[in-house]
Amino acid sequence: MKYYNKRVQQLKKELYEKEYLIRHIIQAKNFADANYADKIDLNKMAREAHLSKFHFMRLFKASYGRTPYQYLVEVRMKKAKELLKKGLPVSAVCVSVGFDSIPSFTRVFKKITGTTPARFQLLAKKATLDKTC
Amino acid sequence: MRIKITSVPVDDQDKALKFYTEVLGFVKKTEVPLGEHKWLTVVSNEERDGVELLLEPMGFPPARTYQKQLFDAGIPWTAFNVDDIDKQCERLKKLGVIFSMEPTQMGPSKIAVFNDTCGNNIQLVQML
Repeated sequence: MKYYNKRVQQLKKELYEKEYLIRHIIQAKNFADANYADKIDLNKMAREAHLSKFHFMRLFKASYGRTPYQYLVEVRMKKAKELLKKGLPVSAVCVSVGFDSIPSFTRVFKKITGTTPARFQLLAKKATLDKTC
Repeated sequence: MRIKITSVPVDDQDKALKFYTEVLGFVKKTEVPLGEHKWLTVVSNEERDGVELLLEPMGFPPARTYQKQLFDAGIPWTAFNVDDIDKQCERLKKLGVIFSMEPTQMGPSKIAVFNDTCGNNIQLVQML
C-alpha cells in the first residue's frame, strides 16, 4: 500500500472512528442545503443532527472547517449569485434565500463577495453582454 | 489581487491536453506559443469563467524529482471536486483511467485518487 493510502487509513481511524456522529453531521448539512430558503438556525440544524447545540457546533466546525451559520450563509450566497445572474430583482432574491430584509441581505452579501447584490448583477450582465459581442 | 490560475506539471503538454479535455472533460481556454513550450490552460466545463488550470511543462529538472517522489508515494498533486464520485470513477475507469485509491469516505468527504498519465496523482473529492 502506498504512503498516501496508509496515511488516509490512519487518519480515518484517528479522526472518524464514530461513524454515526459523522452521519448526523452530514444529515444536518444536507438539511441546510435543502432548506436554506426557510428560517433555519443553529437550533434546527442541531436538532436535525440529534445533538446538543454546542456539541453539534463543535463537530460541524471540526468536520467542515466553518460554523453551521457560516456554512448556511455560504449556501445562501451561492444561490443568491445564481438568481442574480438570472436577472431576478434583488428584493426577490433576498426573500428566496431566507433573508427578511434587503439591508441585512446586502450587508451579508457584500461581506462574502466584496460587492453589493445590485453591483454584482450589473457586472454579471455586463460580462454576458461582452461575451456575446 | 485574484486567484486566477493553478497548475499541474506535465511531461508532455499535447498529451496532457488530450487527457484533461478528452478524458476528464475540461475545456481548453488559452494556448499561447512560448518557444519550445506554450502557455496552455483548461477550465471546468461547468465553470468556464472559473480558475484556470495551467498544464505546465516540466522544464526544470529538479521539479521532475519532486513530482516523481510525490507520485511514487501516491500523494495527489491537486484535487478536483465532483458531485458524485462513484459515478465519476466508473466513467473514468471505462475510459481506461487507473486509480490508486478507490472512493473512500473520510469523515464528511469521499475521496479517490487516479493517475493523470502525465506524472501526477489527482484526487477527486465529493463533499457529503
